This record gives sequence, structure tokens and C-alpha cells, in this order.
Amino acid sequence: MDLILQQTVNAIALGGTYALLALGLAVVFSIMGLINFAHGELMTIAGYVLMYCGLAGVPFVIGAPLAVIAAMLAAVAMERIAFRPVRNSSGATMLVTSFAVAMILQVLFQNLISARSQAVVIPDFLGQSIVIGGLVIGVNKLFAIVATLVMLVLLETFMSRQKHGIAMRAAAEDFAIARLMGIRANTVISAAFALSGLLAGVAAVLWVSQRASVDPLMGFTPVLKAFIAAILGGLGSLRGAVAGGFVLGFVEVFLAAFLPAEWQEFREPIGLSLVVLMLVVRPNGLIPAATLQAQKV
Amino acid sequence: MKRLLTTTAALTLAALAAQADELQLGLATAQTGGLAPYDAPVVEGIRIAVDEINAAGGIGGTTPIVLTEKDVRSDTAQTVIATQELVDGGAEVIVLPCDADPAIAAAAIVAEAMVPAISTCASSPTLPLIGGDYVFANFPGDNVQATVSATWAFQQGLTSAFILYSPDSQYTTMPLYFAEVMKSLGGEVLGEATYNMGQPDFSAIATQIAAMNPAPAVVMTSAYEPDFPTFLKALRAAGYAGQVIGSDGIDSPTTFSLGDVAEGVVFTTAGYATEGSPLAAFDALYEEKTGAASQTVFNAIGYDLVKVVEAAVIAAGSTEPQAIRDAMAGLENVQGATSLISYKGTDGMPVRQVSLVRIKGGQRELVGQPSPDPALIPAPRMQ
Repeated sequence: MDLILQQTVNAIALGGTYALLALGLAVVFSIMGLINFAHGELMTIAGYVLMYCGLAGVPFVIGAPLAVIAAMLAAVAMERIAFRPVRNSSGATMLVTSFAVAMILQVLFQNLISARSQAVVIPDFLGQSIVIGGLVIGVNKLFAIVATLVMLVLLETFMSRQKHGIAMRAAAEDFAIARLMGIRANTVISAAFALSGLLAGVAAVLWVSQRASVDPLMGFTPVLKAFIAAILGGLGSLRGAVAGGFVLGFVEVFLAAFLPAEWQEFREPIGLSLVVLMLVVRPNGLIPAATLQAQKV
Repeated sequence: MKRLLTTTAALTLAALAAQADELQLGLATAQTGGLAPYDAPVVEGIRIAVDEINAAGGIGGTTPIVLTEKDVRSDTAQTVIATQELVDGGAEVIVLPCDADPAIAAAAIVAEAMVPAISTCASSPTLPLIGGDYVFANFPGDNVQATVSATWAFQQGLTSAFILYSPDSQYTTMPLYFAEVMKSLGGEVLGEATYNMGQPDFSAIATQIAAMNPAPAVVMTSAYEPDFPTFLKALRAAGYAGQVIGSDGIDSPTTFSLGDVAEGVVFTTAGYATEGSPLAAFDALYEEKTGAASQTVFNAIGYDLVKVVEAAVIAAGSTEPQAIRDAMAGLENVQGATSLISYKGTDGMPVRQVSLVRIKGGQRELVGQPSPDPALIPAPRMQ
């Protein structure tokens, strides 16, 4: 029983990180119809900022927010430089553009920083664990769970109370009509990218604090997981992305924990088969976007 | 027509250059991608050795080494293409990437062209077996490393083990050799788990290990970055306090900056710079050439590689690829930076020293440089 509870905590922590990542993709997709595969590189940028902060002796509590801000700025710059010129192009054009941005950034990291993994100084307390009612919980797991909760609450408040949040929801529902109501396309799209950068930055801090290193190709796995989670949840649906992230986290952790040893080698295909099965039952995802057919700008 | 003339002229020049008394050393290694953390420092060491030899007039004072470098981007298909290009360009010795899988993929080309190839730092003993007569390794084999670490653990009284391995590459299955040796010594393997390379989360496995009763005295894995730090942090956070044993893949700056969690981790690697050793001399040379201290033994491994090639060319008395291959297969006690290196009597897997190193206060501490009992070394496992 204890073991199940323990693994549940692990699953919530991993699922939370996936949820943040999937949300980052969903925010942009809901408005632009673009799956930004360069989302992972925003994480890498945040990771490098953390690394340089460590080298410069900047404490983690200051380095982490700086890393998040860097990811936000990079996301806004990415939109301005790469995606704005192709905004009215087909989905395929935007998708290819996002791959190009990802590859260009990876090569830049490799050539300007290092092809090798760089160590990131993570405070020792994040590697420790505390005991709550017989459960051993890693501090970085707690940190991940708390960060995810805070981000989800903030995002919910932003989307339902703030002017920009409401504008973004309106734009996601029907961009043409939203623009007729006086919502500026550039502002909304920039805000969406900034938000996705924020989510990528927070996820990056969680991700890097687990692995204590950053390398040029670091963004690939997280963006892949986020993509799976976003599809599973229902592309373009923010609540769906969160649900998808948590489901993916639970599937991965529980398969790793409870699949018989001889089946472990097939853990990944089994996990993905489960995802496919869920999509067969719910083709539009767990919580589909209400505006699945809406016109994207 | 003009282009044709230029091309012909260039090819003629290239052919002339190849015929001259120099050694064409072609590098098909990963300067980017997942293998770059290993290949890049090896190539640094190669350059240092080549510069040193060429400054003295070349191999034996007469045969300068000409380096041609190609980046294979840690990609198997790209390794094959680059190797073919190097062979076509007249390379007389070829250097292949650190992982056995891309190196094996290029083996057919070097065998066809009858050009000897040597992997920078692949340590799977299956490499020369599958690769054939023309493929050599340049690192202590996985089975030898596992024998050294399992024997050490057993002698320390750590007789129950848990292994974590990944079927994704030959190298990451080293713990299976460890388990084999542990069992033949009379120890116990309490459990095993697999992971996928690049797996983001190890907490499920870590929780499982920490909850085992009785707890394994030692956890062995050949995972490397970013998997090793992620696993180790999760393992310690889950509450496991026993001995962790790794392998040469974690001989990298990332591991040494992990702080408290890495304290006490023991791993096998290719060398340790004791005072006055050739490795200490190499480290000094490295610092002199690059202005920075060498951070990994893989720099010295590159130097070793060129020393092996040099010895083979001297023994062959020519730069003819077949002669170099035959000479290389018979080399004995070549003094490299990390160790004495012999190929005589092996199938292409070198006999060289293995060092056991412990991480203490973020630094290396030598545990020992034991010679493994040959009777214990497991046979290469074909996958």
C-alpha cells in the first residue's frame, strides 16, 4: 500500500511536469494552430541560463526566476522572428518552421556553448528527502508538485480574470471575431508565446533540477512527451493538456513500478499503446477543445 | 569542362599526396549529438598526439600524419557515409565513434576496403567480434570493467546486488556482465531493472530499489549522462544509502559536480593520474597545449589511440593499410598515456589497465588498479 502511495507521489510529480509542458504547447496551438516543436529549445535556453547563473555564483533562488524570464523572452523573440512572417501560412509551413527553429537553436548551442553536457549547480537540499507519514518524498518532487499547482492556479486565474487571458480565450474560440471586437492579433499571439515560455521555463527548472546537467539536445524528449500529452488531452484544450500530462505521468510511473520484470523492456511501447487505445475511445482527446473546428489565423 | 579539369587536377593532387610518405588518418567521429561528450575529448587528445608526432618529423621521424575530420553527428547512417568518403579519399587508418553500434555499421566498409579502423572509446567486447578483422577497440572491455568492479564489491563484502541496464545500446548492458561475475563469485543478484536512454524520470525504479527488503548492498549501472545523474539523484532521494557502482561513461565533469549525492560512488575507467605516471605527464601536456586542465580521461584515450597507430606503422614499416592492420593485431605493450596497451593474442579488444575510482568531495580518488582474474571475465554477450 505504501509502495502504491509512494509511486503515486512520483506519478503526480512527473505528471505535473508533463502537464506544464503540454500546456505550453496547447496555449500556442489553441490560438495559432501551430505545434511549436521548438518549445523544448526554450527549456534548453532556461537550462543554460541556470548553468551560467551557477557558474557566476548566482544563488539558485535568483537563477531559477532568471531562467524562467529568459525562456519567456526567447519565446516572444521566437514568435517575432520566426513565426510572425509565416503566421498566415498553412499548418504544415508553420510546423516545418518550428522544426527549423529547433534545429537552428540546437546547432547554435552546440557551436557557441558546447556539444558536451554542462553541469548545472543544483542546491543540495533539492536532492534530499523528507518523510511524511511513512512516505519518503524527495524535496525536488515536492518542489515539482508545488510548482505545478501554483502554475495551474495562476493560469486559471489569468485566463478567467485578466483582460489578456480573456482575450486569449476569445481568440482561441474564434480569432476572426475576436479581432472584430478590437483584440489585437499581435498582442494576443505575443502574450500566448510569453505564456508558453513561462511554462517552458518552469518546466525546465524542474527538469534540470532532476538531471543536474544541460546539453544542446536536451529539449527533444520533453517536447515529445508534451506532444503526446497534448494530443492525448485534446489538442488546443488547456484542461485537456493538463489531464493528458497527468495521465501520461501516471501511465509511465505505474508501468515502470508494477509491470513484471520480464515485460519491462516493452514498457514504452505498452505505455504508448495505452495512449493509442485511449485515443481510439476518445479520438478528440480526453477533454477536447470546444472550438476544434474554429478558424485559425 | 573547366570544372572537370579542376576536379581531375584536385584528384591527381590528392592521389599524389596520398602516395607521399605520410599517413592519412581519417576521423569519422561525433563532434555533435549524443556521442559528442565522449568523441570530442578523444579527438582533442588525438590532435595533441598528432601535433607532437608531426613536430618531431612524423612517425619514426619520417612519416607525418595527415588528419581528415568528419562529423558523424552521433548518427549511424552518417558514420557509414563518412567512413565511405574517408576510404574513397585514401585514408589508411580510420577512427570510428565511441559507441559500438555506429562503429559496427561502418565495419563492412573498412573490411571491404581492407583499411584498419579503431573506435575512439567503444568498450563493448562484441565490437571487434562483429566488426571483423579490421576493427579494433581502444578501451578496456565492458566485461573486463564489470569483472573489476564486481570483484572489488565482493571483496568489500557487498555481496548482494541490484542492476539497472538499458537494452538500447551494447554499452548500457554492462551490468549484465557485472551480475554474471557477481554470481560466479558466490554473490547474489537481488533484482534488475531496465531503462530507456534519455528517460526523464527514474523515481519509480528508485522507489522500488529503496523499498527492497533485504536492501541490495550495491546498485550497479552503466548509465551515463543525463541518465546517471537523474537516476542517482532519484535513488538517493528515495532513501537508498548503499554503494553505487558506475562505469567509464560517468568519468565526466557533470558527475563530479553533482555534490553530496555522488559522494562515495565508485566507477571503473581507463586511467588514473598517479604522480609521475604517463597520464600525469599527458595531463600536463594537455594543459600546456589548451590552457585548461583535462577534465576527463577521454582526452588521454585519444592520445593512446594515436600511439597505437604510430606503433603499428613503425612495426609495419609502411603506411600500407593491410600491413598496418597486421602490425596492429600483433602489438604488445605500447606505452599510452593511460596504460600499456597490447593487442597480441586478442581479437581486437585491447588488454589494458582498468582503474577503480571513487568520487570523494567532487574529486577522483584512486581505489585501485587491479588485474582481473581472467577466469572470471565473462564471454562477450552477442545481442
